[in-house]
Amino acid sequence: MRLVLALLVAGLAATPVSAAGEVVREQLPNGFTLLVRENPVAPVVALSLMVRAGTRWERRDNAGISNFLHAVMVKGTTRRSGGELAEAIAALGGKVSATGDVDYSEIRASALARFWRQLLSLTAELVLEPKLAADEVAPERTWLLSRIQKRRDNAPARAFDELYAALYGPNPYALPVLGTPESLARIDHAELVAAYRAAYQPQRMILALSGQVSASEVVAEARRLFGGMPRGPAAPPPAVAQPEPAARRVRVEMTAQQVQILVAGLAPSLDDPDHAAVKVLSTVLGGGMAGRLFAELRDRRGLAYSATSYYDPVRGPGALVLYLGTTPENAARAEAALAQEVERARREAVGADELQRAKGYLLGHYAMDRRTNERQAWYLAFYEIQGTGQDYPERYRRAVRAVSADDVLRVARRYLAAPTTLVLGPR
Amino acid sequence: MALPRRVVAGLLTLALAGCATAGGRRPAELPRPVRTVLSNGVVLIAQEHRASDVVAAQLWVRIGGRDESADELGLSHYLEHMLFKGTPTRPPGSIDRLLEGLGGTSNAFTSYDYTHFDVVVPADHLRTGLELLADIAMNASFPPDELESEKKVVFEEMNLVQDDPERFLRRRLTELAYEPHPYGRPILGTPELIRALTRERLARYYADHYVPRNMVLVVVGAVTPSEVLELARATFGRLAGGSDERVSLASPPTLDRHRRVEIPRPEKQAYLAFAWRAAAVSNTDVYAVDLLTYILGDSPSSRLNQELRERLRLVSAIEAGYVASEKAGIVSVTARLDAGNLDRAETAVLEIIRRVREQGVTEAERQRALVTAESSYAFDIETAEGLARSYGQAETTWTLENELAYLDRLRRITAAQIQDAARKYFGDDNYARVRFVPR
Repeated sequence: MRLVLALLVAGLAATPVSAAGEVVREQLPNGFTLLVRENPVAPVVALSLMVRAGTRWERRDNAGISNFLHAVMVKGTTRRSGGELAEAIAALGGKVSATGDVDYSEIRASALARFWRQLLSLTAELVLEPKLAADEVAPERTWLLSRIQKRRDNAPARAFDELYAALYGPNPYALPVLGTPESLARIDHAELVAAYRAAYQPQRMILALSGQVSASEVVAEARRLFGGMPRGPAAPPPAVAQPEPAARRVRVEMTAQQVQILVAGLAPSLDDPDHAAVKVLSTVLGGGMAGRLFAELRDRRGLAYSATSYYDPVRGPGALVLYLGTTPENAARAEAALAQEVERARREAVGADELQRAKGYLLGHYAMDRRTNERQAWYLAFYEIQGTGQDYPERYRRAVRAVSADDVLRVARRYLAAPTTLVLGPR
Repeated sequence: MALPRRVVAGLLTLALAGCATAGGRRPAELPRPVRTVLSNGVVLIAQEHRASDVVAAQLWVRIGGRDESADELGLSHYLEHMLFKGTPTRPPGSIDRLLEGLGGTSNAFTSYDYTHFDVVVPADHLRTGLELLADIAMNASFPPDELESEKKVVFEEMNLVQDDPERFLRRRLTELAYEPHPYGRPILGTPELIRALTRERLARYYADHYVPRNMVLVVVGAVTPSEVLELARATFGRLAGGSDERVSLASPPTLDRHRRVEIPRPEKQAYLAFAWRAAAVSNTDVYAVDLLTYILGDSPSSRLNQELRERLRLVSAIEAGYVASEKAGIVSVTARLDAGNLDRAETAVLEIIRRVREQGVTEAERQRALVTAESSYAFDIETAEGLARSYGQAETTWTLENELAYLDRLRRITAAQIQDAARKYFGDDNYARVRFVPR
């Protein structure tokens, strides 16, 4: 990891001061990509195995299939039952989980570093020899339905799902990663097996590992485990419908103590030239406790408890979401105040101090988030699967430092021109 | 994760109870922490940790929900909210701008045994961080406007807890398992008390309890203990203040079959939670209870998960947790399930407990629990703040020495001792139980 925190203030170029070593990257002849970072900090190891399958490749009638597949994959292999698998992982001081996401699906695993070889081997077993038993499908469906119900019972989670549906319209990002009760009911065992075969092709897979390990040993072991997979047919990127920004307001009723208010605009993808400026805009508005939403709407006016913004890196289109959680009595004033903050961002250039604070916060958080092996493994795999190249972090930091007040104003005008508003709460 | 499908509920988090497990564990490779008592009574714990070029500085104050009288409920937590608001030399908002501009973060939470404030800053800015923490520790000014508007924020926090079934479940379970003992009080206070709260009342509570003798400063990161000591003497070492004797706590009441509540809720799914009284951190049974909790419900391979979720398919999720506070502890089991399965799930949980009591645990289970404990510690020390948190918690509710010896002592616990702990603490009737049922 590189140090940026202290140097931001001095405005100097970043200097590498790091316990973690360089990244070894290798692509096997069958297309499988491998990334390893040696990190001596703690006696642990974490890996992320990503595959090009996720919401982006899904439709309304099979929404959630990537996540469903991964739920069934971790329930056993041809060699071990689900219970035996759980015991084997626990014996490594380990954890393994697998989920779908919007631009990828991921198997995450971690353990004590001295068990890295066993962890890698178990991961390979899950990937190469999953049992995908027909009799696991119904119980996992039931379990996923309970997860969907849990999200529907949770006001903020439900508000975000409703917002994405409204904001993204025909684009697959409108679909929930978990799917819907209707789509899960339709997906059967044969479809899951077909989804597995399509996704688990070596050229669609990336394995990233970070921890107290020797990179050369890990590379040799991974070659042995994954090098024998036959290369599959090239998979074209999915055809994805582009959503249109439309200023509209959606009201959803739900029994709850709090009202959720979300205002969102479609935003650029992570490799767009505007990405860094929108990140800064998002931070000015809702990053941390000095962000405008927190400082103005929560601290100064007491209009909300939760007051933040989100703009996560995705293939695109992204979403810049401003979020408030408040009481029913304050809801109308909070919504009006939030709209005023949007207008202000589109009208006035941000001051020098505020810009500086936002950049410090943004880059500080970026560095802090990259300290654990689990996050390191995720970042390595994520940038690879997004095709940004492993120099992305350095380019991103440079781009953030270069963002001007004019840039922030310009992207606010562009991406918050016709925001979608969603209000969820009691009648 | 790409899109924010999960929502984090704000940065001022509230720990509803003391700690996740009884304590932490130390690896051989790290330098040992250095503990120093400054002349005014502030305890300093410092350790070098060069995982990255940041430093975690944490103030732990021995004051929390358990120290409040009936008309003071919620004051410890209210102080937690107010301290970062300003001092005579730091106007409202300036503290957040300062820290965030440095690329730092801040956090705070309140428990029954302590109140905690922490910052993580680039190591070059440790002095700034310590000056700030020392300033808010003694000189918070409670600007009247801020004090009033924060009331709305605390009311919102109360609503937020109510809307989140899992947080509300843990809160109701803790209250039910302890009331009328101080560990069973509402840590946020009540709407009536918070509405009536005056600046004078809060300032008096602050002056009485925020004294150097109640403070622990933990600094972990890319600095040496001697550098830290020098900075701590120049900041925290200069604080002056009187003594504050903590009221000693009586033992909590024994649990019996009358502690059962059923709460109608808007969720479509039901929740089930049990709490058994178990060892406090000061009790040497903590080691056996900790291992027992791992075996019962800490992972997918645990007994509860394998039996209730995988084999009987009665629950969607189930786990066990152990919260060992300074004067008492509880082991909880919580599950999410269909309402129609509540009775059968309850019977199945009690059956698993009974089997452990009668037949004990296997050596393989004991080994897995030990590796899990070791692993959980190894992942905690990846970050400076994780390590600092385990030290601060140990110093305020236990001792640093106990914390450092934890893993070694855990390894000496036999399967027979785990069974003894199950027999001692887990009866057929001596638990509190909360059910959430769909309306």
